[in-house]
Amino acid sequence: MRSRVWFGRVLPALFGITLLAFGVARADGIDDPLRAPTLNAFKGKTVAFLPLSMGFDLTEGWGAMMKHQADELGYKFEIRDPNWNTDAGAQALTQLISEKPDIIVVHNPDVQSYARLLKKAEAAGIAIIQVNMKSATPTQYYVGADWIGLGERAANEVVKACAPGKGPSTKIAIVQGALTAAASIYQIKGVDNVLSKHPEIKVVSNQAADWDASKARAVTQTVLQQNPDLCGIIGFWDGQDTGTGAAIREAGKTGKVFLITSGGGAKSACENLENGTFSADTSYDVPGQGRDINSAIRAILEDKAATKDLRVVLYTPLRVLTKADVKPGACWTPQSLFE
Amino acid sequence: MKIALTQERIVFALAVLLFAGFAIVLPNFLTAGNVLTLIRGVSVLGILGLGMAVVVIGRGIDLSIVANMAISVAWTLDMADRGVPLGVALSLGFGFVVLMGLITGFLVAYVEIPPLFATLAMGAFIYGFGRAALLSQDVIQMPAHAGILNLAGTGHVLGVPMPIILLAVASLLAFLFLRYTRPGRTIYGFGDNLQAARITGLSVRPMQVAQYVISGIVAFAAGIITATAVESMNTRIVNGTLIYDVILVVVLGGVGLSGGKGGVRNVLVGTLLIGVLLNGMTIMDVQYTVQNVVKSLILLVAIVVDSLVNPRDEQTAQQGDI
Amino acid sequence: MVETSAPTGADDAAAEAAAARPRFSDTLVRLRYTLIPDHVVGEILTKRWVDNAAPALFLVLVIATFGTLLPDFFSIGSLTSSLRQLGEFGCVVLAMMIVLVAGGIDLSVGSVFALGNFTALLLMNVLNTPAWVALVAVLAVCGLVGLVNGVLIGFLRLRAFLTTLVTLIIVRALVDMLLLRYATAITAGSPDSSVWDFVGDGSIGPVPFSIVVLLVLVIGGHVLLSRSRPGWRVMAVGGSRRSAHNAGISVRRTVCGTYVISGLLVGLSGFMYAARLSSAGAETGVGLELQALTAAILGGNSLGGGRGSTGKALMGAITVLVITNGVVRLGMQSGAGSMILGIILILAITVDVRWLKNRYKVLNKVYVSPAYNRLPPAPETAAGSGSPYAVNDKLRDVEIIGLGVVEGPEDVIFDRRDDLYCGTRHGDLVRFLAPDYTRHEVFAHIGGHPLGMQFDRDENLVVCVGGMGLYKVAPDGEVSKMTDETNRTPFKINDDARLRLTDDCDIAPDGRVFFSEGTMRYEMHSWPVDALESRGNGRFCVYDPRTNTTRTIIRDVLFANGVCLASDKQSFMYAETWGCRVRRYHFDGPKKGRIEDVLPNLPGYADNINRASDGNYWLALVGMRSPPVDLALQMPGFRRRMARRIAPDEWLYPNINTGCVVKFDESGRILDALWDLGGKNHPMITSMREHKGYLYLGGISNNRIGRYRIPGADPTWNGYDAYWGARA
Repeated sequence: MRSRVWFGRVLPALFGITLLAFGVARADGIDDPLRAPTLNAFKGKTVAFLPLSMGFDLTEGWGAMMKHQADELGYKFEIRDPNWNTDAGAQALTQLISEKPDIIVVHNPDVQSYARLLKKAEAAGIAIIQVNMKSATPTQYYVGADWIGLGERAANEVVKACAPGKGPSTKIAIVQGALTAAASIYQIKGVDNVLSKHPEIKVVSNQAADWDASKARAVTQTVLQQNPDLCGIIGFWDGQDTGTGAAIREAGKTGKVFLITSGGGAKSACENLENGTFSADTSYDVPGQGRDINSAIRAILEDKAATKDLRVVLYTPLRVLTKADVKPGACWTPQSLFE
Repeated sequence: MKIALTQERIVFALAVLLFAGFAIVLPNFLTAGNVLTLIRGVSVLGILGLGMAVVVIGRGIDLSIVANMAISVAWTLDMADRGVPLGVALSLGFGFVVLMGLITGFLVAYVEIPPLFATLAMGAFIYGFGRAALLSQDVIQMPAHAGILNLAGTGHVLGVPMPIILLAVASLLAFLFLRYTRPGRTIYGFGDNLQAARITGLSVRPMQVAQYVISGIVAFAAGIITATAVESMNTRIVNGTLIYDVILVVVLGGVGLSGGKGGVRNVLVGTLLIGVLLNGMTIMDVQYTVQNVVKSLILLVAIVVDSLVNPRDEQTAQQGDI
Repeated sequence: MVETSAPTGADDAAAEAAAARPRFSDTLVRLRYTLIPDHVVGEILTKRWVDNAAPALFLVLVIATFGTLLPDFFSIGSLTSSLRQLGEFGCVVLAMMIVLVAGGIDLSVGSVFALGNFTALLLMNVLNTPAWVALVAVLAVCGLVGLVNGVLIGFLRLRAFLTTLVTLIIVRALVDMLLLRYATAITAGSPDSSVWDFVGDGSIGPVPFSIVVLLVLVIGGHVLLSRSRPGWRVMAVGGSRRSAHNAGISVRRTVCGTYVISGLLVGLSGFMYAARLSSAGAETGVGLELQALTAAILGGNSLGGGRGSTGKALMGAITVLVITNGVVRLGMQSGAGSMILGIILILAITVDVRWLKNRYKVLNKVYVSPAYNRLPPAPETAAGSGSPYAVNDKLRDVEIIGLGVVEGPEDVIFDRRDDLYCGTRHGDLVRFLAPDYTRHEVFAHIGGHPLGMQFDRDENLVVCVGGMGLYKVAPDGEVSKMTDETNRTPFKINDDARLRLTDDCDIAPDGRVFFSEGTMRYEMHSWPVDALESRGNGRFCVYDPRTNTTRTIIRDVLFANGVCLASDKQSFMYAETWGCRVRRYHFDGPKKGRIEDVLPNLPGYADNINRASDGNYWLALVGMRSPPVDLALQMPGFRRRMARRIAPDEWLYPNINTGCVVKFDESGRILDALWDLGGKNHPMITSMREHKGYLYLGGISNNRIGRYRIPGADPTWNGYDAYWGARA
């Protein structure tokens, strides 16, 4: 696995250097024989992006970065937005397969839904880059968070904060996303991995809030009522956990209950860290993911044959942000993506 | 005296039973704090239920209520985020729900589209229009300078959370409106028998339009409470099951979908049952899919008992009454 | 019937002048109203299938729009991939449609779809059963959910909306719980079944398997729904639950059945979806109920029941899929699809609602479509003019039979025992007993209004029944149908196979019955409106009892009326009411197939024709012509405006209040005319029958039968013996 990551990282980097070299070569006024073929490799190519839905920080961030690169290198970039509807997404993917773009960047809703279609797409000669959610079908590239690792990381932080004697108690609560969502299932797996080794930590509530802040708020409020000495809460998505944080604040326990959540690391995450809504936020670094996706796209378009049999997994380096880490540049905004 | 077994009484009895049961079984259930949390948890649902009830009593249904709530408030927040003065943003958001209510009402009253479809279509339209034309994000964050508006979701009066106070105020207003005002009685009139009401000379159509405007305004208010409580508005709730929950609290308490029956009390009874259930089951750490099943089964029991106690007759059943 | 003002002399003169020489503009008018088939519009509007016009138009518009916007919309690959999805979605819409038609709604389809999908994958991927076992299991499971819905809604009579809402939530929760447990196992397994692969991936010819399934269901479902007993029950329950209940249909079982069918169809759809995608995602089928409902309604199936078809469901399904997929492919912003769908749904329902509400108003306005009808100037009827038609008062003192007993004796006839028969508008045949005709009895009850009558050789009474057809009444009063349909004219929009207004008949010696049908465009009660049209909607048919077949022999008759066989028994005289003439048609012999004018220009509207004792013929004129009406008949545009702009009881109708009886011979000479000028005893005459020296008179809106003594007539002559020969 390590070597693959290394390989996947270095390859795009090499391209970057090559491109840089062209830039230098041009400055000297010498016509580089490699330049035209390289740039021509992008002409007339098509990259399609199939997110879960546009309109939230992750997909908007990736989309903006992919579009930026496409405009620079002159290939065609299309977004097919199924708006959270898995059936529409499956249909859009089916449709894309019949249209045969060069690359499809897929944001899977879960491990299952697109598995068979992705196999078909690869059989049809389309390169597939999966983003942030691995399908049961491995494809050329996977770029995204390691969800089990994310869960482990969050659990470790809570175990640290709520170790016997450190917090008011060893009671913690878990606020999942949608029960059946893969991101949720994998995170809970990671959390379980850690907690099974720490029997002293007591989970008093393990509820799903359906990615909905209001529901998270209601659940947290009830849990805090029942367990005024609650020590920590593991939340699964920062968008949803603004509600969890609001319930903590309303109970007057800001700073007393350790709330760790995760997300794409957009500006709102930093704001919530700063005002104490979140104690910690694990960021999977959308700008970094965007760069990785772009490198993968370049590598494939450059030489489809060479990358054909690759199976590259690029796990995003996770970053745990706390209030101390909040400084300009720690979180991204749509404007900061290209700086 | 014989007490007739209506759906409302059945549900109320169920709620009381459950409440008593939880109070005995769960140690911290019967504390002031938990009871407030319990009601606080369903106050927005109750407020939306009141808006829905006004429409349902007038033999309609408003499936666009959640879309109205999400989009109008999200748009308001988005404008405030971008520097529009809060007052202006709020007025525009309010204007939006009124306009949408007018359109829906027009479609139902004058074009004579069945309410189920008019509001289904309007719900799709409002959400789509909002997402495509007004908002660029799914989740709109609350601006930092919202000031007193925040009180709607997070304030307290004498230790009682603001949403509960607002639910009480809304209930009182709805009660007075439905019971003592001319438009309120008109709604019962045409909800019971549209043709008769029209022949009697009641101004049915304008009141039908007004119903949807009212439910839109209620949605806006509920949205403000929701948004200020969690400092954001997530437009994805439109695709969720909230709308079914709203219908649930309305019909659970015995507001008949065929119109003309029920009132504020019924909505509150339904809301109470749901509140007790959700709170108790969350304390017991029951998974929410199981909570859904329990919730639905209780509704099913309520309507089955109601149907057995007050059977519908083939001779008097209304055509197209689903 | 209502004439606005008495025509002045100047108008008369103008009318006559206009009638005398046809102008060029008249020719243009005639051509305009002959060549352009205005009547087709009204006839199309009466068809139930025009309901599909608006949905079909939407479908075409949507396809055209997206076809233009998306360059490869019509490419084979693109179509095939959309079609597979259509097969699955179409089944769900069919399920929704069948429930809607019976007056219910099924919100649980989305969850049941997910349950079907899950069950199929569990059986195939984890338990590795054969595909057919999986299919049966899926159908059983989903049918069971449908049965639960059906029992709750049908038998316990819960509200469909709430009940299926509850099953929607419960089944969804169930699927979620099952998925948590089995999702990993499902992902790991891969079934090895060629049948399974064929269901998901295979095609029959170029057509994907799921589409074949859908087409079979659409066609089979249409036949079932529109042409089978169970289908009619479903339609009846949806159309009017109460009437269906009172008619003895088991409403509860029928309603329950629709939910079971819905469950089965959705299960089948889930099975095909599972085979195609093998995806056990938690989001499967979320929101499908609203999509299916939208599709069903867009196609024109109405909420509340009674109106719907599989074709409508298919149109709706295609429209919705094209829109949702098209919007995603256009790469439009999130929400654009939802917005467009919302707008289209509002537009479609608006059109549908307004259409249903106004269809009959429009139909009433455009159905009457007048044509050009130019009559020669009417013969003189003034007293003392020397005209054979000159008015007199011979009928003033007719005797009255059955006053107040009969209503609407259009025709009268005698049997060999001198008993008198007539029909009434209550649908009875009444018999007045000889000799004094004061006693009467109901001879037979037919149900429709009996019009023209004739005895056949075996003394069966052959009766033309308005709205029903040709019937036979045996001497013991037993009624049996002879025919109620004839051969259908190809490409005619109104179904002219059915007989609407059989009017009069006569019987050839070989037993063939020649009968007239007044008009094919109007029902019995609105027959005078046909005069406004004067289009030639009548026809003559022949029924042959030897082969039990009916054929149309003369078409385009301006209200076909009286029929009477001529003396040669190879031709018959017939009356053409709005054409004001009597003609003769040769059905056998040397002139076979020829038509000759006998009385080409009558002063009134010809009705029944019967034989007289002296070998000549009696002819009833139901009403007399008047110059304004004659002029109006040459002005179809005027009559059209009239029909559209003013209420039907204000229209200008021909006079059918006052008429007369004339006697003519085969050469077309008028021998006698009998009038009741004062209108005292018997002004309206639609039929007359000579019997033993008397003439008996019938009228379709009279409450009596008249009896006139014919001076010098043979007092022993009776029609039966004279025609069929005397018997012992």
